[in-house]
Amino acid sequence: MKNVFLIILLIPLLINCQTEKSAVSKYQNHVGDIVFDEKLDDSSFKRCYEKDLGNQYYSGPGSSSLQYRGEKIAIIKDLEKAKIVSSKNENGYITIRFLVNCEGKTGLFRVQQINEEYKEMTFDKKFSDQIFSFTKNLDGWIPMEAEGRTWDYYQYLTYKIENGKVSEILP
Amino acid sequence: MEKFQKYYLSLLILVVYSNLQSQVNCNVMQSDDCKKACEIYNYLEKYDQGSKDSQEGFDKAIGLCPDFSNLYMEKSVPYLKRGDFISWKILIDKAVELDPARHLGYRGWCKYQFLRDYKGAVADIEALEKIYPTGYLGYSQNGDYELHIAKALCYSALGQKEKAISLIENQLAKKDHNVGFYDHYQLGVTYFELGRYDKALENFEKQSKQNDFAENIYFKSKVAKIRNKDYLDLKKMALTRYDEGRTMKDGYTHHFNKVYRTQIEEL
Repeated sequence: MKNVFLIILLIPLLINCQTEKSAVSKYQNHVGDIVFDEKLDDSSFKRCYEKDLGNQYYSGPGSSSLQYRGEKIAIIKDLEKAKIVSSKNENGYITIRFLVNCEGKTGLFRVQQINEEYKEMTFDKKFSDQIFSFTKNLDGWIPMEAEGRTWDYYQYLTYKIENGKVSEILP
Repeated sequence: MEKFQKYYLSLLILVVYSNLQSQVNCNVMQSDDCKKACEIYNYLEKYDQGSKDSQEGFDKAIGLCPDFSNLYMEKSVPYLKRGDFISWKILIDKAVELDPARHLGYRGWCKYQFLRDYKGAVADIEALEKIYPTGYLGYSQNGDYELHIAKALCYSALGQKEKAISLIENQLAKKDHNVGFYDHYQLGVTYFELGRYDKALENFEKQSKQNDFAENIYFKSKVAKIRNKDYLDLKKMALTRYDEGRTMKDGYTHHFNKVYRTQIEEL
């Protein structure tokens, strides 16, 4: 009888614990995680590992701002050849974040456009679409290597825009 | 050799020091809640930066002590490193608002390093100078540059080369200045851009004695070529250094005045 009474007393506490654990966090497992969205993403692009480990471009053993065949200057030169210019005299940044999988293929692209005050803005659509396509078509990404195998990782490219032209590429 | 070791030792101490700064002495906090928030802040160092647990921990600590500026700064970092500059800016602005003396230099450096926002970086570093008009401003987060020199790089990027030179020369002339990894290289490149090759070479030679990386040798080669002297040996040496990995390195972004292998090949 005494035990039954004790269990009845503990029930509200156990329910409370359960509620705490199942509470939905406003955060993803890692800042910047990208979840597949069938409306946005190419279903043929696959992560090599089902679990998102949250690897970032800078977290590999040979950490560098980007691992690309021919280094960043290859991207800069390709962009120069593409001659992408906005019809408007705009300033700010377009950042495209994506996943490089263990085969060096890219997908899950997400875009952030900001002005010089770091506030959200929208660049000329044709211009931002061209920047997006240019980024999607880059095919020199080098997979992250560690522990004798290759891994998926998140990368981003930021295009600094001055007077409607890309003046620098980061990181 | 002894000078070389001393140089690296001083930089090592600097890097260790800048990493230790993130630990706070919680006994100086003025309320029990803030002391608790401070202890959470210190404890969160053990968590993966940007993980859910870490970000939630910062929120909990902010709830306890909303005026503790370090919480906003540390919470902002993963957004910066992962390219979410909107979220980063909201948080780092809050940190600066609460404690400008502590965070202005850091925000300015990040504007430069991650966004090449030269004007924004100059504005922050100059605001910091108003707080410390004659004194020490500290170093960039990665320890590569003293902040007066970081400001000079921004002026150089904005086309104000003479001003950049004057700022770097003034800083290098200070007795208490620890010469950074790339100080003489950056000064040399700025002189080079103005066509002042003697001064450029003088600084590249000084750089060689401290830390002779591929980009520095490349510029020496460029000067030799302009002067119709034999430059091919230097070019070859620059390529060798590049392949050995002795280049300007940054784990998050690329250095200002970084030179790539193909550029050396094309000389």
